[in-house]
Amino acid sequence: MLEKNVYDAFTDVVGKRYISQDPAVMDTYAFQWCNEIESAQRGEEPQRFGTRPLAVLLPESTEQVQAIVRLCNEHDVGFKALTTGMGPWAGVSNPRAIQIDLRRMNRIIEIDSKNMYVVIEPYVTNAQLQCELFEYGLMHHAQGAGPQTSPLASHTSFVGPGFTSPYTGFSGRNVLGVEWVLPDGDILRLGSFDHNGKWFTGDGPGLSLRGIMRGWLGAYGGLGVFTKAAIRLFSWPAPKDWKWKTSGTIPEYDWDVPPYWQMYVLNFEEWEEYQKAMYELSDREVTMVATTSAPEGLAALFTNTKTEAIESIFAGLLAKTRNYIVMLVAAHTQREFDFRTKLVRLIMEKYGGNDLIADGVTSPKPMHYGETVRNMLGAHAFRFSNCFQSTHGGMDTISMAVRLAQLNQPVKQKYIDKGVIGDDRGLGVWITSYESGHMAHMETPTVYDPTDVESCLGYAAYQDECNQMDLDEALGMPFFIVGDEVHNFYADRTMNYPDWLRKIKASFDPNGVSDPSHYVKGDKKKK
Amino acid sequence: MTLGEFEDMMDSCVRCSKCKFIPQLVIQSKRFSSICPSIDYFNFHAYSGGGRMIAASAYHKGRVDLTPEMLDVIYSCTNCGGCEISCKWVYELEPNEAIHELRVAAVESGAGPMPKHKKYIELVERNKNPYGEEPEKRPQWLTDDIATNESSSTLYFVGCTASYRREEIAVATAKILNAAGEDFRLMGSDEMCCGSPVYRVGDQKTAIKIMKENIEQFKEAGIKKIITSCSGCYNMLKVEYPRFVEHDIEVLHTSQIIEGFLEDGKIKLTEEVSLKLTYHDPCHLGRMAEPYEPWEGEKIEVLSQVYIYDPPKPERRGSNGVYDAPRNVLKQIPGVELVEMERIREYSYCCGAGGGCKSAFPAFALWASNERLEEAESTGASTLVSACPFCGTNFRDGIKSRGSPMEYFDLTELVLRSMGGGK
Repeated sequence: MLEKNVYDAFTDVVGKRYISQDPAVMDTYAFQWCNEIESAQRGEEPQRFGTRPLAVLLPESTEQVQAIVRLCNEHDVGFKALTTGMGPWAGVSNPRAIQIDLRRMNRIIEIDSKNMYVVIEPYVTNAQLQCELFEYGLMHHAQGAGPQTSPLASHTSFVGPGFTSPYTGFSGRNVLGVEWVLPDGDILRLGSFDHNGKWFTGDGPGLSLRGIMRGWLGAYGGLGVFTKAAIRLFSWPAPKDWKWKTSGTIPEYDWDVPPYWQMYVLNFEEWEEYQKAMYELSDREVTMVATTSAPEGLAALFTNTKTEAIESIFAGLLAKTRNYIVMLVAAHTQREFDFRTKLVRLIMEKYGGNDLIADGVTSPKPMHYGETVRNMLGAHAFRFSNCFQSTHGGMDTISMAVRLAQLNQPVKQKYIDKGVIGDDRGLGVWITSYESGHMAHMETPTVYDPTDVESCLGYAAYQDECNQMDLDEALGMPFFIVGDEVHNFYADRTMNYPDWLRKIKASFDPNGVSDPSHYVKGDKKKK
Repeated sequence: MTLGEFEDMMDSCVRCSKCKFIPQLVIQSKRFSSICPSIDYFNFHAYSGGGRMIAASAYHKGRVDLTPEMLDVIYSCTNCGGCEISCKWVYELEPNEAIHELRVAAVESGAGPMPKHKKYIELVERNKNPYGEEPEKRPQWLTDDIATNESSSTLYFVGCTASYRREEIAVATAKILNAAGEDFRLMGSDEMCCGSPVYRVGDQKTAIKIMKENIEQFKEAGIKKIITSCSGCYNMLKVEYPRFVEHDIEVLHTSQIIEGFLEDGKIKLTEEVSLKLTYHDPCHLGRMAEPYEPWEGEKIEVLSQVYIYDPPKPERRGSNGVYDAPRNVLKQIPGVELVEMERIREYSYCCGAGGGCKSAFPAFALWASNERLEEAESTGASTLVSACPFCGTNFRDGIKSRGSPMEYFDLTELVLRSMGGGK
């Protein structure tokens, strides 16, 4: 329990209605997906309940957030902010910490269609923002975590690849400016906003600290609280009078596909051809989506229930599917559409591929086009067992992604053979190219049963082995399971970068109250 | 099921927050993207469908007690089932069912339900209705020009709200039945509450007793078909009763029977009713109205860590609710222009009254009705129509509180007016 005077001081900031320290309410913040894996990795009994915060506060403004943070410094109380809060990085790790739930800060502050950016508060979700941008003919980059999650959280604090990454990049690339309540309670506004009140660039002429703020990986909320962010926008490839329209009844909705949109699933027998085609498709800027998963994943992508997915597997989908790229050509005009689709065909033929949609192996319905651009397809992987998690996570070259996929297969197969993780024959990957270049994000989603101790322990062991593989084979750092231990694990091979992170942490958070959770603590790495 | 039987389900929540929103694919605007009035009003995660499952898990595991705040969490849910529709887009979880079992557990422990609920349960047991009105006054709405046949096997189950608070609905319904030549009887002062307000707050023991007594009474009266005005009564008799008491009585909502009358030409809608209106789907007539099909079988591991049910377990995803009947009726009223809100059918936004909230959390219930009214107003309609007296009561309160220019009517009122009988 917080001391009464501290609790009362917090109450004075947000009001009685917006603070709680009831254990049951607190437990709904302590409970997080993947806590069961992290507890298993620590050698504890796998369980989803993690550290319970001492209180939860619901501020409504930057000023209230600032006042809370100042009180935390004054009374030596840790704090961690969260939005929708999915994953252990959203929770607290310090037993003397409060949780700042940013749910009430949910406004779209400004849409600047001319300069193509939007300023948002933390609890605006991807789906909400996407809806409000259509009338301007614009879209934003939505991270793969899903349409119900916060683009501000991803843009400021998390890596953030997504299904439209070939077109929109990843979150870290698209943050243009922030309003940032620093761990000591000061407010910092980065980039051009500080100079002229416009948010179009994060690199000045005001302060540019984007590298410190998040770098590639993001600080996972371990370095203060972001209360506003300006993020880059992109042209939405549909006529301005086109409306997002669904009809029908769950789970078989219909969706109005915009003109000049076409989905492909290009399939290549060998990784080598796949790799060449992926490079060329990306370099040519043909596609809004270029995503790869296991054949089992394809079964889940374009079906609406677990039963349908399993039925398609048993109907022979796996035998006809090898290394494939789900692509969405989304053009503004007929001419652009003709050009792009012709390129797709030529590249497919050049590398000996076939289109699994044309061949009738898989059949995306109109609603799956909608799910694709609303960033909903990743969640389909949860259908198999209500749960999955990813290992690895490099954002490197396309060839590195392919190499990682190949090296991972026999390791994953070992755990499949033990019966502790889902059987995708070791092929389960998620690859997406990004920024229409030669880069790709790669992770290996893996199904496990969160209610089965052996499965949790098995997945945790697989995760550890993947981390070792990343180190031994120079595959890059995993982007999901981080924190001091994992950072330390990679330090010697990466010029001891965690020391620099710790210096940043110590400088910005002199009292150590911004709960590091999955970032680093302020102390030095022990050698 | 008991709370313990939900343990795996509760432990499988990934806290993704989908339960706070309508299914993501159907979101058309930021303003009307949420599904859960409770999280919208109270804001702490505990007040969402997923949050309540986690709280239930914490209670089941002995991590927390039923504190006053925990009871608020448990009972400030309208039990509308919206969370479950969104959750099931991806997961095989039933948050609404788990919340109900948590309420049952709270009652069994002696902590629940809320004092206001205990009070009205007493009234139901004593006076046969939660309002504490005299049973003899139940048929007072009946006017001389309405004909009933006490030997009919069709029962018009009026319900407590239409009997005592929204009598105009009872009158309209009876007159429509008369006009269609549909013979029916009433239970009159012997009509007992369907048990919905008791069941919804977790007093399962008393609710089952009421269910059994009602079915016994219906059987003794030779009832083969029941017509209800109230979505809550419909849901109880059609969906919940068969889970606890066997019966083979056909249960129809007024919207369904009127749709049938129109199809068969038994009534004609001739009078112009010049209204631009929008229709609110009551939760218990919509997504919650899917029959609960009993299932027995086993989980089979078909792929490593991937299980299916054998035989296939019927899924309740809200797709088979009563959505089209009221709309089909409204569309046949001359002069009516039906415009839809953004949140309709299985992802309709709850009016805020259900689950015992109207009595125990009146400010919240009123706020929720205002939220829905704002959505209704945004369509440009002048009139809000629904098919549930309890929703109607909350909407009328909401219209008054916000000074809304909208009018509210029950479906039956407009039908009667178009038949020339209810101007």
